[in-house]
Amino acid sequence: MTTLKTYNPSVDELCMFLSKYSDRLFGSGATCIRLVKNVSRIANAYGCNAEISIFPRHIHLMIMDQAGNICTAVTSIQDRPADFALNTALSKLSWNISDREIDFQCAIRLFNRISNISRTSPTMELILVSLANASFCRLFGGDAMAMVVVFIATFAGYTAKQQLIARHTDFRITALICSFISAVLAAGDILFGFSSTPVIAIGTSILYLVPGIPFINSFCDMIDRHYICAMGRLMNAVVITCCLSAGLCAGMYFMNIGMF
Amino acid sequence: MENMTIQFFQDALFSAIAAIGFASISNPPRQAYIFCALIAAIGHSVRFLLLECISPHLHIVPSTAIASLIIGVLAVIISPRTRVPAETYLYPALLPMIPGIYAYRAFGGLMMCLYHDSEYAFTHYFYLFAGNAITCFSILLSMAIGATIPMFLMKKISFQATRHSNISQ
Repeated sequence: MTTLKTYNPSVDELCMFLSKYSDRLFGSGATCIRLVKNVSRIANAYGCNAEISIFPRHIHLMIMDQAGNICTAVTSIQDRPADFALNTALSKLSWNISDREIDFQCAIRLFNRISNISRTSPTMELILVSLANASFCRLFGGDAMAMVVVFIATFAGYTAKQQLIARHTDFRITALICSFISAVLAAGDILFGFSSTPVIAIGTSILYLVPGIPFINSFCDMIDRHYICAMGRLMNAVVITCCLSAGLCAGMYFMNIGMF
Repeated sequence: MENMTIQFFQDALFSAIAAIGFASISNPPRQAYIFCALIAAIGHSVRFLLLECISPHLHIVPSTAIASLIIGVLAVIISPRTRVPAETYLYPALLPMIPGIYAYRAFGGLMMCLYHDSEYAFTHYFYLFAGNAITCFSILLSMAIGATIPMFLMKKISFQATRHSNISQ
């Protein structure tokens, strides 16, 4: 274990810092294995050992120094959208602390700076997601008009998603409302026959809501034997999928069209 | 053959656009977008080749597993060169292979089961539900396992990708 020669924090200070770090890293969409490795790396750099238990809604952290002093902390994981720029920056911070012997105060300053990292502009995100979903439609065999319908349905649904998230609406209600909006708009293709592949249009119009990252993260955690967290993420993804399916179904019922 | 070539390049192009769009939701570092698109295009093209071009055609589940494995290997190899964790490339590149239409049909089958009382209609829709749900789940599983295996086999590369770089990078 390499210990930093500059100012070493107390066990309590380090524990509080690492609990905030864990919350941020986990909330950014990191897998359990990355969280454990990064937290242990930082703790080791300051001459301590870290033991970490990861639950679906909480992280339990125990830090112990070489003198045997112990501090434990339980952190609630905040609901945040996945953020790989933050994930990358936090991983770099852990290596910077470990390899470059960053002073603890400097590490806190860097952490606070990283935590306020800017996201892609909402307008750009809206356009890119709409284009992506239209491309998805094409990949599933939809024609050019079906792509246009999917673009419009996604644009409207994703705009609603951004507005609802900004108002801190529950993510399950958000999925339900957005899929309803997209399904109603895409159902217009079946009613008015804009394209020759209306079923593909309506099927792909809600795919931007599919929780791909929680699904894949849950399998990643499962492979690393973090079964509780894996099941938690999987259930979360299943609940979101059920909500968007219910929204789709309600939209189709509202427009009076069948599923097949 | 010419038609197949056009379809092949279309597949690559649209999967690259889909990867960029879905990557934007998870806010990757700017330099990651181009690699997300490249990895997605290669992965999806491989799946297209396995599904459509080789004889006998491979089933969608093993095709997806092989394509995901290639995506996983590429993500792990590229990540240390760009100082970005492999997951940043992995997830957007995998998303164009999400079995959305199977999930939609499975859900449609389930709903139609609820609406029909006659044994024949119920059995038919239950068959549609079960068939699509099994395919959907198998694709998801093959995607996840195929893509994450390289990360675990090459742990040293995967988890040291962000080493030797400044935070501002």
